[in-house]
Amino acid sequence: MTILRAEGLKKTYGKGDSKVNALRGVNLEVNKGEFVAIVGTSGSGKSTLLHMLGGLDRPTEGKVFIDDKDIFKLKDEALTILRRRKIGFVFQSFNLVPVLNVMENILLPQELDGAKIDKEHIDNIISMLGIKEQLHKLPTQLSGGQQQRVAIARALAGRPSVILADEPTGNLDSKTSQDVMSLFRVTADRFNQTIVMITHNTEIAQTADRIIRIEDGLIVNR
Amino acid sequence: MKFLLIISIAAALVAIAVAVTEHIKARRLTDRLGDMLDFAIKGEFTESTYDESVESFLESKLGEYLSSSSLSAKKVEEEKDKIKTLISDISHQTKTPIANLILYSELLAEEDLSPIAREKVAAIDSQAEKLKFLIDSLVKMSRLESGLMSYVPVISSVDELLESITDSLSSKACAKGISIEYEPTTLYINADPKWTYEAIFNIADNAVKYTKEGGVKMSATEYEMFVRIDIEDTGIGISEEDSTKVFSRFYRSRDVSEEEGVGIGLCLAREIITGVGGYIRLESTPGNGSKFSVYIPKGQNLSEVS
Repeated sequence: MTILRAEGLKKTYGKGDSKVNALRGVNLEVNKGEFVAIVGTSGSGKSTLLHMLGGLDRPTEGKVFIDDKDIFKLKDEALTILRRRKIGFVFQSFNLVPVLNVMENILLPQELDGAKIDKEHIDNIISMLGIKEQLHKLPTQLSGGQQQRVAIARALAGRPSVILADEPTGNLDSKTSQDVMSLFRVTADRFNQTIVMITHNTEIAQTADRIIRIEDGLIVNR
Repeated sequence: MKFLLIISIAAALVAIAVAVTEHIKARRLTDRLGDMLDFAIKGEFTESTYDESVESFLESKLGEYLSSSSLSAKKVEEEKDKIKTLISDISHQTKTPIANLILYSELLAEEDLSPIAREKVAAIDSQAEKLKFLIDSLVKMSRLESGLMSYVPVISSVDELLESITDSLSSKACAKGISIEYEPTTLYINADPKWTYEAIFNIADNAVKYTKEGGVKMSATEYEMFVRIDIEDTGIGISEEDSTKVFSRFYRSRDVSEEEGVGIGLCLAREIITGVGGYIRLESTPGNGSKFSVYIPKGQNLSEVS
């Protein structure tokens, strides 16, 4: 079952001489429960692609479907709500709220949404990610790997249709990186969670089900 | 005049009161609807009230829809029970005939037979053994796949695990003239020991099977959350095209057709490792051997736990 689909995505920044074609027509399909890595060098357009897939930025041309919904047909406010309910984000710099403790950070998106907290699900996530002992600590008291695990817990908490991860291991050493990848892998298997991750690290990407390579704004078949 | 004023104030108050109660009612109804849907999502929905209220009406309608749509947990549970019975029937009912087959072929082998007949008896015996293995594996497989098996995570020593696997495979390796060894380790995993053994054993057993010279080596590496167990061999290797297929049921590469096997070992291994909260990665170059890396949740050292 296709859960995320991009059709003819194009993105152009600037005008005239300074015009940059970041994406030049990308087609992509991701199935439910799949763990996909998008690999490319910096400037290949992979970040732009992830921003489009997550509805963080509108494309110049083309469409993105999440759960068969054409997301760019939505107005900005509706798009924000769709993002909060259907997409979990994991960023390179963790983006945890520094004044909230670990538990509060995990529950924040759902509390913003006024949703009821599924305690059993949250407990499952917390024990799988091994952050039970850290729940009352502040993000600054945690190691990088632990912070990223909290960010993954936050992304998982609302049972999103898809998790989009932007260089999630970019700030971590290679051992911790493999741990984070392992957790993504296990999450995809256990919760049938769809995950799309971008990275420049081919070694890290091997943990995914499928690797998509992007060069100069186009998907290349190797 | 005064009278009229009092009446209008009273009317206004009544109107406000009605509006407020209606609002509360509507609020309660939507809350109740939300709860009902939450239960339905979890598959735990049951009707709780039977009266003339709108809620009760909606409840029974939702209940009707769910029970007809096979989404309810109850239905799923019933289906599972059916499968469970079927599987245990198969394993139970085939046990005796197969055991008899093996027994009688052994008895037959003790008779005074011509060399040709002896060959045929040996063939019957080996096929019966194969059938037994196949049925055992299939029963295990379907138990695992239908989620009928429960894994009991226990903190256990990787060293003991690798030692017992090495022990049980050493005679087989020795007969082929290859080595099997492991690097001693102090690490612990948090997974069901019996099933983890089965999974790693299957992988190591395959490694021994498809290695003609050299050997099989096992080692463990520690991460913060996981322990990685590597099973490395100097065997025939697995082509890139095959590397995703080797984990599927009954898949056997054309490169290994001369070896005995049914193609279920790795499939079981993957099913088990996923079940205990880990995963398997495979790296291989054809001709140069394969490396299976099994990631399993790490157990804290025993001293830290108690």
